[in-house]
Amino acid sequence: MAGSVGIDVGGTYTDLYFSGDDGRVERVVKVPSTPQDPSIGLINALRAAEIRQDDLDQILHGTTIATNAVIERRGARCALITTRGFRDVLELGRRDRPHMYGLTGIQRPLIPRDRRWEVDERMDYQGNVLVPLKPQQVRELAAVLKGEKLDAIVVSLLHSYANPAHEETIRDILLEIEPAWEVVISSGVIREYYEFERTSTAVVQGYLQPLVSRYAKSLLDKLKNWGFDRQTLIMQSNGGVVPVKELGSRAAFIVRSGPAAGVTAAAELAAEAGFSRIITGDMGGTSFDVAVVIDGKPAIAENTLLDFRVPLRLPMIDVHTIGAGGGSIAHLDRAGILQVGPESAGAYPGPICWGRGGTEPTVTDANVVLGRIDPANPIGIDRDRLDIDAARAAIGKLGEKLGLGVEQTAEAILAVVNQRMAGRIRLLSIERGHDPRDFALVAFGGAGPVHGAALMQEVGIGAMLVPPFPGVLCAMGCAAANVRYDFSRTIERVIGDIEPKALRAIMAEQRAEGEAQIRQNEAVGGGVRVSHAIDMAYLGQIHSMRVPVEADWSREQMADAFQKVYRAEFGNVLAGIPVIVTNVRTTVEGMRPRMRRKENGAASAAAPRPQRRRDVYFGGRHDTPVYRREELLPGMAFDGPAIIEQSDTTTVVEPRMKVRVDRFHNLIVEAA
Amino acid sequence: MTDPVTLAVVRGALEQIADEMDLHLIHAAISPIISETNDCAHGIFHPTSGETIAQGRYGLPVFLANMQFTVTNLIEIVRKEGGFKPGDLWIVNDPYISGTHLQDIVLIAPYFANGELFALLASTGHWMDIGGGVPGGWAPKAQEIHQEGLIIPPMKLYDGGKLNEPLVRMFTSNVRLPDQIAGDLSAMCNVFNVGRRGLDTLVARYGSGKLKDCIREMMDRSESQMRSHIAEIPDGTYHFEDFFDNDGIVDEPVKIALTIRKAGADLDFDFTGTDKVTRGPINLALTTTLSSCYVAIKHIFPEVPVNGGAFRPMKFNVPDGSLLAARYPTPVGGYLEVVGRVLDVVFGALAQAIPQRTPAASFGTTGVTTVGGRHPLTGRYYVAVFPYPGGYGAYQGGDGLVHGVTPQSMANFMSIEMSEHRYPLRFHSFALRENSGGAGKFRGGCGTSFSFEPWADCVVSALGDRVDHRPFGIAGGKPAAPNEIKLRLGNEEVVPPLRSKYEKQTVRAGDIVFAASPGGGGFGDPLERPLEAVEQDLNLGYISRETAERDYGVVIAEAKPVGEHMRYRLDAAASQTKRDNTRNAKAAARPTLRAQGVRS
Repeated sequence: MAGSVGIDVGGTYTDLYFSGDDGRVERVVKVPSTPQDPSIGLINALRAAEIRQDDLDQILHGTTIATNAVIERRGARCALITTRGFRDVLELGRRDRPHMYGLTGIQRPLIPRDRRWEVDERMDYQGNVLVPLKPQQVRELAAVLKGEKLDAIVVSLLHSYANPAHEETIRDILLEIEPAWEVVISSGVIREYYEFERTSTAVVQGYLQPLVSRYAKSLLDKLKNWGFDRQTLIMQSNGGVVPVKELGSRAAFIVRSGPAAGVTAAAELAAEAGFSRIITGDMGGTSFDVAVVIDGKPAIAENTLLDFRVPLRLPMIDVHTIGAGGGSIAHLDRAGILQVGPESAGAYPGPICWGRGGTEPTVTDANVVLGRIDPANPIGIDRDRLDIDAARAAIGKLGEKLGLGVEQTAEAILAVVNQRMAGRIRLLSIERGHDPRDFALVAFGGAGPVHGAALMQEVGIGAMLVPPFPGVLCAMGCAAANVRYDFSRTIERVIGDIEPKALRAIMAEQRAEGEAQIRQNEAVGGGVRVSHAIDMAYLGQIHSMRVPVEADWSREQMADAFQKVYRAEFGNVLAGIPVIVTNVRTTVEGMRPRMRRKENGAASAAAPRPQRRRDVYFGGRHDTPVYRREELLPGMAFDGPAIIEQSDTTTVVEPRMKVRVDRFHNLIVEAA
Repeated sequence: MTDPVTLAVVRGALEQIADEMDLHLIHAAISPIISETNDCAHGIFHPTSGETIAQGRYGLPVFLANMQFTVTNLIEIVRKEGGFKPGDLWIVNDPYISGTHLQDIVLIAPYFANGELFALLASTGHWMDIGGGVPGGWAPKAQEIHQEGLIIPPMKLYDGGKLNEPLVRMFTSNVRLPDQIAGDLSAMCNVFNVGRRGLDTLVARYGSGKLKDCIREMMDRSESQMRSHIAEIPDGTYHFEDFFDNDGIVDEPVKIALTIRKAGADLDFDFTGTDKVTRGPINLALTTTLSSCYVAIKHIFPEVPVNGGAFRPMKFNVPDGSLLAARYPTPVGGYLEVVGRVLDVVFGALAQAIPQRTPAASFGTTGVTTVGGRHPLTGRYYVAVFPYPGGYGAYQGGDGLVHGVTPQSMANFMSIEMSEHRYPLRFHSFALRENSGGAGKFRGGCGTSFSFEPWADCVVSALGDRVDHRPFGIAGGKPAAPNEIKLRLGNEEVVPPLRSKYEKQTVRAGDIVFAASPGGGGFGDPLERPLEAVEQDLNLGYISRETAERDYGVVIAEAKPVGEHMRYRLDAAASQTKRDNTRNAKAAARPTLRAQGVRS
């Protein structure tokens, strides 16, 4: 085969990773994003990478357009149709507030109350019709809606997951009256109970669908003009890709596709390098994203909050974010204690040393002052040199208030921001019931490898993997992903009361639907992987646990599997309490040909030669070797302290650590 | 002075230990009330003063300072019994010592560094049952604490590392969910290992002497941070009174009075004038009264760190014998209602001083509706609990939220679809309650209304308030709509005799239970609300046409139906004239009011 390209369009940069000629050629590029039309930046990246159209089989692409459209409320003008008595479910949510302390806050429902309508109809929880739908009433409502200048209509009725008939009838009537409307029914997006979460998910889909469809069309047109008309795939938040022509109908599935791609790539690289339990740490300009991966499988979140009272109930890679990045601002709080972030200088003006008008000292400024980042080789900004004097002056001023010198203050800034990130890593692993010391850290993002070694020490992690192109790992992840569809269906019954054939029938139906979608997809060459799981709980419990099952298992086998998972998690089982099945789930993956990374012969046991040396501050000045990443070959090893520079990031190795280069060109950093 | 880097790092590390204790219990607890609604709290405390060194950020607000006062009370008791020894773990749930209610079990253990008592670690967790007259321990008609459950006086659960097993058997024999309770108890005991490990690491890294210096400095700095906020409150005396409709037994209003005196950087809370203990469960233990004041302050100044230093600038006077200093054998099962009202009076008093930072009253009633019975399809006994959602008060700069959780909690409302799976109930509606937010320049958030019909006979109870005494507005804002509860029993519509409190009402298949929660109070003069905002409120159905015309002083130019909705257009010029006239009329009326001695 020829080549694939992964492109991750972020808020600030558009990153590209190209792998061609059976993995023998790799290329990375970072260009500024073009928020007014992100597809322009994408084409710019392809041009900058000097890729020939003929060399490409596939373009794989991650994008933030969906997330941004929700956060900035730039989505479609939608109406919502609900069961009589329940049009406010979308606005009410489930009784909460934005923060534990403070009773203020703003809520902006994606569909305001004057565009939410009710119809007479009602299903019970088993899907039996209690109040029949009146088609004439729907027609009259459709006539009213025609005057409302709508782009999309979302239909979400109570218990539609149990019986979607009424939702489907309403959809058909609406489309008959106005074929131009995009109509989304909640049971078509997710077949699960919890009316608020399902309605919100359907509304997010409706809100994004027109915009994302337009984007897909414009992207395909631009690629065609550029001379490419083969396969284009888009990264989803579940870590799998879908063909771009399905993009509109999958709009809600692609929010946060970039971070998901990063975790997917990290999982792949770490598994290849022999690490089964990893924590990924992606540190960029404004935020630090953490995720847990066990046995190559990233942890999945069922519910993700996009904004206050805007939950999305779709399986998404569970990425936790805190406001800690290179641009995070250092300041003193009212008690005179040093704090770093969550406020960030962002891309504009950015850190002081960027010389774009930033005035408050940031984490990047501290790294420059301490010699960890080379002022002569700025990454990602259009300047020849970083302004180290301005950074020193501002940090010195902050230090005066603390009674500290410039370097001590800069170290203090790093100590505080590293502690915050380390704390998040610890809490996330504990929330999942793990000991973080059993994990390896995969550090990426522009700032991840700068801080990874310090995080290892702070958390007590034994090893860190720095991938070959940590600054564009999300783009690489797009190139590595499989095609993936997730299905779910709520049952909510005691397992003993369910007809055994019923569960099997649902799994078979989900499998058939996934396989049909995959068959239409030319990107799949490596076969189909199907996995089933059942969410189970003890009767009365609110939260269920996901249990992997086989389709041909008996009910007893399934219940036993649940007891095992429960005991592993909580150390006991609740004997005598019946087990209920809440949801049946199937994941169908179309395996793409595995991306072969170069494992070329050029290995070396020789000690690498530093390109130069410079003073770097690690609790005092150390004369530190600086290596070029391209010159480090598999088999090489050296001790910290060390700095490794490459076009997309800098890796800092602290004293008392050692580094080796594995056969996949990853840096493996370990405590000496 | 301790060096600033160490100070920042040690503070972060101590908070991290408390957070990890929270998360360990939330992860390991069996009862959903801990694992789902975080009904727990953990902290590290000073070994002699009991002051909070750090408290976890995942536990519920209601435990905020309650933990510190509990530890302080226990230190005194343990001193008399020979002091803390290695391997000891103390247990208590006596509300007159440890606050809140009997369901909240507190465990306290000493932490020794190099043989010296360095700190106390504490864990609070809510047990699903504690015996007593009603499952779950919630007895709206209780007239003494013994009807509410089992009292555990302070005693050693572990003595020198040895578990007092007979004591555990005594608990498990007296509660309705023995396996669950035993599981939760052992999960709570395990949390102390997490705390000890964390402190061991810190002691090894910094030494106990340096850590102590850091802790002292941290508290002093938090105190000065708190004082810097207090200093911004104008000096003065601020008095506020509010009422419960009744105590659940006697149909008479019950008063809470608060005078806040602010001088320099001190803040005094004086509850003189508050009514005596009530016969019903509307009472509060002293530690929780004090804690509630801190919760209110933390809602106003969320950035203040949680440690004993931040609590120092506040002093209290809570009269003996008042319902806010409950003594044995007063029942305290309605404590959440009382906590809510204490928060309200703190907001009401401070609104006079710092209206720019204080929200108007929120809906102000936990109003739990409990439905119980046998499910006709499974034959199993079920208990469904629906806590009240409601509107939040408006504040300078924004309207109140709809469908908020009570300020002392974070627990969610159940999913309707899930409820219908589990209980023989059918909901008719679950809706924003129109026209229920207090009018104001910034409008109070609307309350919520819901109604359901059981399809099998059941028994329903509720403990609410705020029917006769509505959530107040501030700075000229109007009060919110009152709480409303109605039952349709057969062909009859019934309002319970105590309006929002009723116990074990039989509700038959086909009857209907209807509840409508209050909104939040308004902020500022409604005549100052921008016309576009009033027009939008009308179109969204947040306010009625009558309210728009009467309270907001607008003139409607056009009202046309669009399907089932109404679309309004205001007449801007006529509205302006009408508002001017109303203001002039008010100004003209004011001297008369003053002459009559009424404060406006």
